[in-house]
Amino acid sequence: MATTNTTALKIRTALGEYLKREPASITERHHLRDDLGLDSMAVIELLYRIEEVFDIQIPDEDLVGLTTVGHVITYVDKRLGSTRSVAASKKPSKSTSKKRS
Amino acid sequence: MPSRVVVTGMGIVSPIGIGTSEFWKAALAGRSGITAIKSFEPFPMEGYRSRVAGQVHDFVPEQLLDGVLADRVDRYAQFALAAVKEALADSHLQMGRENPHRVGVIVGAGMGGMVMGEREITQLYRQQRPHRVHPNFIPVITLNSASGIVAMASGAKGPNLTISTACSSSAHALGQALQCIRDGRADVVITVGADASITPLVFAGFCSLRALSTKYNDQPDKASRPFDRGRDGFVMGEGAGALILESAAHARKRKAQIYAEVAGYAATSEAYHMVIPREDGEEVATTMRLALADAGITPAQVDYINAHATSTSIGDAVEAKALQRVFKARARKIAINATKSLIGHTLGAAGAIGAIASVLAIQTGQIHPTANYDDPDPACALPGISRSVQERRVNVALLNAFGFGSNNAAVVLKRASD
Repeated sequence: MATTNTTALKIRTALGEYLKREPASITERHHLRDDLGLDSMAVIELLYRIEEVFDIQIPDEDLVGLTTVGHVITYVDKRLGSTRSVAASKKPSKSTSKKRS
Repeated sequence: MPSRVVVTGMGIVSPIGIGTSEFWKAALAGRSGITAIKSFEPFPMEGYRSRVAGQVHDFVPEQLLDGVLADRVDRYAQFALAAVKEALADSHLQMGRENPHRVGVIVGAGMGGMVMGEREITQLYRQQRPHRVHPNFIPVITLNSASGIVAMASGAKGPNLTISTACSSSAHALGQALQCIRDGRADVVITVGADASITPLVFAGFCSLRALSTKYNDQPDKASRPFDRGRDGFVMGEGAGALILESAAHARKRKAQIYAEVAGYAATSEAYHMVIPREDGEEVATTMRLALADAGITPAQVDYINAHATSTSIGDAVEAKALQRVFKARARKIAINATKSLIGHTLGAAGAIGAIASVLAIQTGQIHPTANYDDPDPACALPGISRSVQERRVNVALLNAFGFGSNNAAVVLKRASD
């Protein structure tokens, strides 16, 4: 699907820029934490970039499911496909806050 | 032999009351000071993921402070001035009778003068008129503006310092004041924690960090829920706490009322991550152990812990794990509460306000409730946490404070003895 390919490319490019590595070396199966070494703060930074690239806002409660590159691609595709409606998603779920402050 | 250090006066500005008696009355009632943020003019709140905070709504500087001094500083320093005014009056310290160079000021502040800071930066970029930047901009945003203005208001000419270690700032201020008096460099240290940065930019920054609660925007008083399964981030607060610390000998000499002794302190770094704590809790545990050792107190002697407990998912669980590491079976017998459940996280003021709650627990034998502890999270369930007031004699209290930058502090307070 063309949209998915474009989304995947943009996300892999954003990840490659963030991690300073070749985007082609990043696959959809890569786990953000276990394979790419992103801690919770780094995931938040990555999603901040992705929000800008795709002009979307990702609510806190959606972070829980975003653990692999593939999850992020699928999520963004879904958001782009359903346009504005997902932004209103208020499904309560487990907290993701990893901060000490 | 190093001096023993005691607390002889307290003052507070908080979202649940200005003044210690109002604060304590509300705290014992479990009254939440968290409300919806009406607006950040001209920003609509819809752009913010979190929309609740512990704001001090009824602070009118002119009613509490000498106008000229107060006008020259930002909101956080006005809070500091008001809290110090109350604490000094409470201590009955007569500056005219003191050697001013033996009275110090140590302030903990995490963010500083952000109200004016944000306003001036915005105006400069919008209007591009550098000559219209306010002449007081630099003195106001300089992080030691509070410690400076407190000295000017009180006449304290001793060591004048500002500690900025994010959310542990004023726990370190207490610890540094303790060491300053122990070392004989001052008789009295006016010790303060203050922050007031519920401002458009800082608040947006904490939202972007995904550190704040977002699930309870429609139920603000439910948003700060340390140790509860439904917690989803901290709630920003603002305020100030001031404690007059002095050597026990000095306090006795002037026949001052002694509320409690500051008995020990530890400062450590996890050297780990800017915002994430080590998940095994070992560094937090080490900090508590060092503070107890400094006080010459064993874990078995601790009756009460004023936890850092901000209501973040990982932070509360790590602290609970660390408490179990240090106190083992006794962890189930110690009374524990989270002041932030009532007022949110006042950042640089949190340590000082927690210390005041601890001193009041020692004084009154009452431990204020932890609001919204409705569904104990198994990851941090300890029997000593309660939604209700706990009545018990407190001889020894431990205060925790942890900050961004991998920073930990613990302070031990105890019932003053002769």
